[in-house]
Amino acid sequence: MAQLVLQELYHPERIDFPLKRVGKKGSSKFEAVSFDEVLKDIATKIDNLRKDGKANKIAAISASHTILSNMLLDRFLMSLGSLNSYVEPSIDTLTNAAVNLTQGINGSISYDFENSDFILSFGARLLEGWGETSTIHRAFANWKRRGVKLFQIDSLCTRTASIADKWIPIKPGTESIFALGIAYHLIKMGKRSKGVNFGDWSQVIINQYTPERVSTITGVASEVISNIAKEFASAKKPLAVSGKGAMGVSSSVAEIVAVQSLNSLMNNLGKKGGVFVKTCPGLGKPKLDSIASAAIQNVKPAKGVDDFIKNFENIEILFINGANPVHRSVYGKLLAKKMKKIPMVVSIMPLINDTANYSDYILPSLTCLEMTTVIGDEAVSTRNKSMHPGDIILKIAKGIEGVSNSFPWSSYKDVIKLASNVEIKPVIDFSFTTKLFKSHLTEVSKRINTTSSKYPLILLPYELSTVGDGNGLAFPYVLKGIDAKILTGDTLWVDMNPVTAKKHGVSEGSCIDIISEKGKIGCVKIHLTKTVATDVIAVPLGFGHTSYTKYGSCKGINPKEIMSDSIDPISGIADWWFTRIKIS
Amino acid sequence: MITRRWGMVIDLDKCTGCGTCEVSCMQENNMPIFQDDSDDPKRVKLLNLMKITNDREKSLQYGDVKVAYIPKMCQQCDNPSCVAVCPANATDIGDDGVVSQIWSRCFGCRYCIGSCPYEARVFNWWKPRYEGTFKESLNPDVSISSRGTVVKCTFCSHIWKRERDKAVAKGITDINAVSYTPACAASCPTNAIIFGDLSDPLSDVSRLSKDKRAFRLVHTVDNWGVSKKKNLIKKYPEPKVFYLSSEEWIRDMMRFK
Amino acid sequence: MSKLKDQINAITPLMKVCFDFVKNEYNSLSSSMKKTLLFLFIMSAGFALFALQIFIFGLGYTGLSNYVAWGVWIGGDLSLIVLGGGAFFTSFMLYILRRDEFQPIINSAILIGLLCYAFTFIFLGLDVGQPLRFWFAYLYPNWGEHLMPQSMLTEVVFCITFYFMVLVGEFTPIILGQKLLDRFPVIHQIGHYIHKLMWIGAAVGTFLSFFHQGSLGGTYGVLFAKPGWFRPHLFFLFIVSALAAGTSFTILITWLAGKVKKKDVVPFKTYVSLARVSGFMFLIYFIFRIYDIYLMITKYVPAFDRNFWDLWGGTYGLWMLVLELIACFIPVILLNIKAFREKEKTLIIGVGSAVFGMMMNRFAATLHGFTVPNFPWKAFTPYGPTIQEIVTTLGIFSSMALIYIFCAKYLPIFPHLDKQEH
Repeated sequence: MAQLVLQELYHPERIDFPLKRVGKKGSSKFEAVSFDEVLKDIATKIDNLRKDGKANKIAAISASHTILSNMLLDRFLMSLGSLNSYVEPSIDTLTNAAVNLTQGINGSISYDFENSDFILSFGARLLEGWGETSTIHRAFANWKRRGVKLFQIDSLCTRTASIADKWIPIKPGTESIFALGIAYHLIKMGKRSKGVNFGDWSQVIINQYTPERVSTITGVASEVISNIAKEFASAKKPLAVSGKGAMGVSSSVAEIVAVQSLNSLMNNLGKKGGVFVKTCPGLGKPKLDSIASAAIQNVKPAKGVDDFIKNFENIEILFINGANPVHRSVYGKLLAKKMKKIPMVVSIMPLINDTANYSDYILPSLTCLEMTTVIGDEAVSTRNKSMHPGDIILKIAKGIEGVSNSFPWSSYKDVIKLASNVEIKPVIDFSFTTKLFKSHLTEVSKRINTTSSKYPLILLPYELSTVGDGNGLAFPYVLKGIDAKILTGDTLWVDMNPVTAKKHGVSEGSCIDIISEKGKIGCVKIHLTKTVATDVIAVPLGFGHTSYTKYGSCKGINPKEIMSDSIDPISGIADWWFTRIKIS
Repeated sequence: MITRRWGMVIDLDKCTGCGTCEVSCMQENNMPIFQDDSDDPKRVKLLNLMKITNDREKSLQYGDVKVAYIPKMCQQCDNPSCVAVCPANATDIGDDGVVSQIWSRCFGCRYCIGSCPYEARVFNWWKPRYEGTFKESLNPDVSISSRGTVVKCTFCSHIWKRERDKAVAKGITDINAVSYTPACAASCPTNAIIFGDLSDPLSDVSRLSKDKRAFRLVHTVDNWGVSKKKNLIKKYPEPKVFYLSSEEWIRDMMRFK
Repeated sequence: MSKLKDQINAITPLMKVCFDFVKNEYNSLSSSMKKTLLFLFIMSAGFALFALQIFIFGLGYTGLSNYVAWGVWIGGDLSLIVLGGGAFFTSFMLYILRRDEFQPIINSAILIGLLCYAFTFIFLGLDVGQPLRFWFAYLYPNWGEHLMPQSMLTEVVFCITFYFMVLVGEFTPIILGQKLLDRFPVIHQIGHYIHKLMWIGAAVGTFLSFFHQGSLGGTYGVLFAKPGWFRPHLFFLFIVSALAAGTSFTILITWLAGKVKKKDVVPFKTYVSLARVSGFMFLIYFIFRIYDIYLMITKYVPAFDRNFWDLWGGTYGLWMLVLELIACFIPVILLNIKAFREKEKTLIIGVGSAVFGMMMNRFAATLHGFTVPNFPWKAFTPYGPTIQEIVTTLGIFSSMALIYIFCAKYLPIFPHLDKQEH
């Protein structure tokens, strides 16, 4: 959040100079060293790895907001001979996979919120920090005046759901089924798409996604579904939005494609008030030297960051660019364990977070006020010995033979224009992937069925807008705004419906543990509220840091440790939205 | 002679609960920093973003319940009960309608906290601290209050003073020519918080305060007809912060229904 | 060096005398008395320790909050003042109305009043955030227009300060009457003349007391934005309560002193006379209080569009009101009906219940009043006093007891007793 910039800029635990690990990994013992020393060490190791033909054992994970340095890191790794540069999941990475699949272009979805007149949101918590918050808030401010309708499909009563013209409380995890249930009605109403394979696909929809079946699975009455379809169909500029969550989003690619198919059916792709594709050519592909080309040959990178974390072996160098996968990924604990064995981990960030704790080197980077951006020059001069991650990458690159040619820039500032070269393209092509949905309905209904399971309850995540999915907790002014029924001292509170509480013999303030197939977290206290459905426990994300300044550390628990970890085969990202649990 | 009457209109239909107003107020007014700030009853913050829900209503179930946010700061009453009760004159209502709070005059009896129906006033139960380099983020226009005194929102009157000084430096001496925006109103991403001069009939606050969606917090006398008011009229706070909402459930809650 | 040694040698025998005196006095006490004193002393020490912690580290160590800004300390404060009302009323009846039957108990009443008001200042010093700034209340008072106090607390602060001076004045002859001092003719004369002017003290004290007892009621009663408190007549209700409960407290404490000393410190008929006054005042109080509740239910709380019964909930709920009314009704019966009033057992139950009931009223006014939710979506705010608050409160009461015991032993608090012994 923009208003927190001063808290980050002047944070007393900001890393003052480059750090080198002196204790065991995870013991938080570091000593100060010089940049030159560190960068030389890194360059040397990279050189050796390349000479041994192990260039593809160099990997990187960037945070989703580090757009410029992520581009440089991608380019850097590729020019070394590695395709293992990943970015933490965001709504853009998820929609990227869907756009690639359905529209054959490398870009992410961009919704024209400003001009739409009917927004059907499938769990996208638009007002809780989803997507580009400033754009959405500005557009939202005009919706009432313009008579724009918002229908929010959500399994929790959020502010977005309350402010919407209609809130559709849906059974958790069934959003894609609901979308295709709407598609059924649209097709029955005569809507046709000019997309490829529409015929085959619409057959599957008509056969499988009948109103009764969809109603049973989603828990929404069939009249409600057909009424929504009617309203959506009669809107002049309807928009279907996907990507469940707020700052942390989790949806399967199938779900995003399902919702996109509604947009295609309503013919709003590339039209005002509809769906566009955001592309950024970036820095282009670097010229590879012989070592790099050899290393890249026949190497298949992981599809996404969770796929990578789960399956990587023998990685020699791992760069962590402002990211925090140990806390944010459901494979975080596994990653921490694996990081202990990686010979060199280099973290680049302004504050030490959970992931940096397992590093060999931590390099202090800039906060946004110290950076020059496309908007203007840096507002404040660089504090301490911090460096822009772009500059760090450039410096390392300049010191490696065969690679420095691909980096003709002297500073990150020279790259800004290229990195911000974003284009919003009206892309009308759409291709329906029928095989994605042939067995989708049975898969989903099996996965969400909790009645016969020994895990009878459901864990659903939600976010506090200032905490987000974890970054906010280091700031005292965020702590000061956290509701009393969410955090008291070090104990996290979770929301539960009073009926469920009675059934399980617990009450307001009771301490419980939450157990899933993956493990146990606890103890948390219960807050009774009817904003949560029966048999659902809503747990806030972003807490439970093991290391994130004294303000953020050891407060509450991190539900990601026990949340679902099935990796989407297309995006390579874990879908953690729906987790079956029991309490004790 | 000052003719300004500063007031605020907050459109709850536009409030998303993002918390920007709360954070910008904390930053602007140098709120103290604690490692554990979870003790809400003792929290020191001038703007409280209250989360309200009608889920305590017995007849409502999940699916009917609603959630909303109300940014609540000092309501700057025209008839402030806190000013009436302070034994040391640490708070007073100015000619521009802003209720000041001079913490250096306060000896911490907390009578004003007891008298405020809006829970707008907070007490420094602990010594305000700012760890290390956080001190560099402090706003130099706002003094750090001491332990044992009461503080509250002053509609960022230090910003008014800064604008006044700027105007005077430019040679503009008319005190009514000074206009300003408090931190919360300036930072709200949906422009839900509007600040202005209630005595200016052309201002947004003036117009919107008379909107049919407008109501005041815990000030049900606004709903009374004139005849009932005549019989039972006594002093009422008359806050200068107005809220707008088209959501019927919020308006019902305001009437204690 | 040798000069210092001489000085020490000179002081040492004096110190030895004092030390021996204290030792002898202590040894002369019964073992149960020793245990009691020890307990009271430990509580007082605890009070000092926790008070120090509060002064150094802040009021954060209390259970108070921005929602419940006043708690056990102010409850204790208000209780002390209402119970100390016996001093001015007894004084008024003796020196202005010339009701000589109260002569035997007047010194005890004054002592009780003095202790109550002195320790009220101590409670306040503890409760206030910046005690070193206490003088702001005197130099920057909120008097409002035409010398009508705009702030009730301004009125209270000035009034109790002046009244405390009056009490000190009224207590001076008792000190001067101490056997050791009374020997000096000068002192005896001074004491005699002050005694003659007591009626001025009584008059001024009564005048001041009406105002500050009332203003304490007004402290809550004028809060026109708080449905749990607002009613203009609370000013007068508190005055009546002081007249009623103050006299009962005087009876209770004096009787207790008599029980400890195992002697008749005051003739029984004095208790009965005072109890008759107290009983009558309790009748007026009780009727007034019922009317007060009636007005709140029908007029004042609905003026906030709220329901009286909805205001009661949480920990400090309706049980407090019920308990207060029962405890205040008992003295209406036991102190007004001659048969009960003249029997020691029922008399003491009556005054005991009176004191308890009035304390309950003050604690309810504070604790319940603050926890009333201000917004419809809020529940009743919890408040639990911390160990700091509990020990300091009990410690203050213990200190008061210790001082009373000391005065009862060494000062002519009970002229009736002295007369008996001569």
